Amino acid sequence: MTPREIAIAVLAAGGVFFAFVAAVGVLRLPDLYTRSHSASKSDTLGAGLALGAVVVTFGANLSAVKALLLMLFMLITNPTAAHAIARAAAEEGIEPWTRDDGTQTSDEEVER
Amino acid sequence: MSFVSSVLLGAAGALVLISLAIAYRLVRGPTMQDRVIAVNVIGSNIVVIIALVAAATGEASALDIAIVYALLNFLMSIAISKFTVERGGVL
Amino acid sequence: MTGANVLVPVRESVTLRNTVAYAVDSAIESESESPPTVHFVFPLVRRAVLGPPPDDAEELLGRVEAWAEEDLEERETDVRVETAFVGREEYLFNPGDYADVLARYATEHGVETVVLDPEFNPAGMTPLLPPLETELERLGIDAEIAPVERPTRRFPIMRRASLGQFVVLFGWAFGFYLLIAGSLAPFELATGAISGLVVAALLWRISLSGFANVRRLAGRLARMGLYAPYLLWEIAVANVQIAYVVLHPKLPIDPEIVEFDAAVWSELPVTTLANSITLTPGTLTVDVNRRQFTVHALTTETRKDLLDGGLERAVRFVFYGRSAARIPSPAERNAERTWESDADAESDVAENSDSDAESGADDDSTGGENA
Repeated sequence: MTPREIAIAVLAAGGVFFAFVAAVGVLRLPDLYTRSHSASKSDTLGAGLALGAVVVTFGANLSAVKALLLMLFMLITNPTAAHAIARAAAEEGIEPWTRDDGTQTSDEEVER
Repeated sequence: MSFVSSVLLGAAGALVLISLAIAYRLVRGPTMQDRVIAVNVIGSNIVVIIALVAAATGEASALDIAIVYALLNFLMSIAISKFTVERGGVL
Repeated sequence: MTGANVLVPVRESVTLRNTVAYAVDSAIESESESPPTVHFVFPLVRRAVLGPPPDDAEELLGRVEAWAEEDLEERETDVRVETAFVGREEYLFNPGDYADVLARYATEHGVETVVLDPEFNPAGMTPLLPPLETELERLGIDAEIAPVERPTRRFPIMRRASLGQFVVLFGWAFGFYLLIAGSLAPFELATGAISGLVVAALLWRISLSGFANVRRLAGRLARMGLYAPYLLWEIAVANVQIAYVVLHPKLPIDPEIVEFDAAVWSELPVTTLANSITLTPGTLTVDVNRRQFTVHALTTETRKDLLDGGLERAVRFVFYGRSAARIPSPAERNAERTWESDADAESDVAENSDSDAESGADDDSTGGENA
């Protein structure tokens, strides 16, 4: 295995791990605000790492530049989208879940 | 198949499984915004899957598809957020 | 065509920022011998007749002035800005009263044009603007409703733009097209130029709200280069924390919404800060209303980090340079406010007082509600 292959494997594994964390978060967290936390952060990093693997695979050429563009684009749009969704929810008057609420709606029912 | 392409394809496969799991949230809801979050996450996973497959097979033109898909994914989130709120001032 | 001096009556509204920009623009573009002045006036209504003007009015005028200065800073002009209160001794009630007061101020200060904020509606009454416009015209003053974006979109979202903006937008579109195409063949050049023209023609008056000059832009880019690694590091830390919290069997979260006034101004820095907040440790920007951020924080710790203001300072550093980085953090400024949803305020009261005690930001803005 060359260092390049190791880098690709590590990046891809990191990408999958954070995508997994995002999925667990989306399934497990109690309300949509907390869910969009995991959707915006873990998913962005996961996508960033996986696209990093793609960049390394392509090496230095136009495709790598495109992959970098894609990465940058997701870095900008993912938080924006999460923000828009959260704001839409806030405007609709959906209450955020809090610890001492006692209304644990969909908390424990989900686990992979 | 080379080591690199099997790693990339394996990652793509794992992401497919993860996306399938998120589909539970998509079905379950309970609110519209929950579903939008789920679709958004699945969408960005699909973008990554396309990119990974492009890298694994050396099919560089698939990256263009990934870029367009990422744009559409973002627009979808914004559009739905905007239209679930009555007055159109989400962003 | 608008005259040299411009008068803008201001009240809190969603389109105020753009109206200020529009008024400043039209003052800059007017060709006159003497340097034009933009007057921003705050009409005081009924209850504020006696005594000093209310604090929020002062604050609003200060903000408007800061915006105008900011818009002016990017061009080389000698436009002046003035702010004032009007209608102090009057009982402003109908559009005629407003028109009288504004017209008096206008003649006193040699103003030929009044620019109206499309959302300007001080007394909260039914349509004020069309009659106000008519009344002003009747008194011999040009009145113009600023063609700025507002939520209901009754006005086009276009703004004034110069040819430079068209060229820059075209350049971006063309460059992006060629990058995606990946070749410089004549066919790609031709189709790219056509697509770029179409994009620029459609959007040149919507995107790119204004330009900094090249030196400022270079400075910002350089500092942005310093900011990026910092942000990436914060993102990495954020994700490890989130991963820990999410995968922890007990799910140790304590989400809460905080609201604070960030010390950043104008669109781009606010957007940058909002996105940075969303990307970093357990915080998610729910809403931004001008400078007022509503942030959902996942754990108590992340809430504290947010109010310590590291990110905010970094964003200020990028956009305004080193001196601006030294403004006190939100916690020190007491900028935090407790969040009250419209739906049920009373159930939040207990938690609100908690969070105040934690952050030490027990100030007068919350005292009234919790008492």
